[in-house]
Amino acid sequence: MEEKRITERESLEIITSMIARTKERYVGDGNILLMWGYVTVAVAALVWVMLFTTRNPAWNWLWFLNGIIGGIATPIMARRQEARFGVKSYSDKVTSHIWSAVGVTAVVATLCCLAFQFVLHACCWRTMLVFALVVVAFAELAQGIVVKEASLVAGGAIGLCAGIITVCCIAGEVPLAINWFMPMFIAAFVGMMIIPGHIINHKSKSQQ
Amino acid sequence: MKELNPLLHSQLRLAVMSILMNVEEADFVYLKEKTESTAGNLSVQIDKLTTAGYITAEKGFVGKKTRTVCRITEQGRAAFEQYVEVLKDYLNLQ
Repeated sequence: MEEKRITERESLEIITSMIARTKERYVGDGNILLMWGYVTVAVAALVWVMLFTTRNPAWNWLWFLNGIIGGIATPIMARRQEARFGVKSYSDKVTSHIWSAVGVTAVVATLCCLAFQFVLHACCWRTMLVFALVVVAFAELAQGIVVKEASLVAGGAIGLCAGIITVCCIAGEVPLAINWFMPMFIAAFVGMMIIPGHIINHKSKSQQ
Repeated sequence: MKELNPLLHSQLRLAVMSILMNVEEADFVYLKEKTESTAGNLSVQIDKLTTAGYITAEKGFVGKKTRTVCRITEQGRAAFEQYVEVLKDYLNLQ
């Protein structure tokens, strides 16, 4: 394309052609989803093994690894992803804001749990399980609807099902025993993040 | 009949504005690819649109590489909408 004078009809053609070119849909990549999925599953498995073998609840502090690793890696990976695709659409902006809200909620919820633990001597860390399986799952479901990606909708729905079971157990005072809850938690994250992440990466590679 | 905005009535500048009207932001590489232009020419036209206040061009780094991200401004959006209105008159589309 050069810098030259154009007719009115050519103007219209340029506008419609450029609109069509920006409509090409990018599914993005699933690397951030995969990172969170694998880190969460690895940390959950580690906590599960340590709790099972030692019966010492102090191992639950390992959950913080999840937030530390994910919190550091996510902005770096997001910047690389933006540079790779070169464009940010309105739906990208919406989903980015949804996940930012989830991140802020995670920080606030963690601070609340810490305050309850050290100020009121009350253990309310199950809030974080509800957060992981309800808030995160709902955000993924919303992202899937916005970007029209079925694997994210399905993944979000799987997580949400596990989340509803968790909420019902907490409300009904059913103990979240590690022998069934941890496998469910891990399975939920495999279905919620690892499988959709691989599906999105596969689609992204097919597009190129 | 109103005159078409001369700043927008050019092949490459109109193409850049049309793309930026449809996305939140786009980087230099993306614009170059979609408009099939040369880096030098695109750079000149982006400068003209930036000077007019129609777009913003923010230079940053991703690793060691520079990355210029362009976004349309409210002034640019209004100018583009007005351009399309005048264009409709010229083409008797109303």
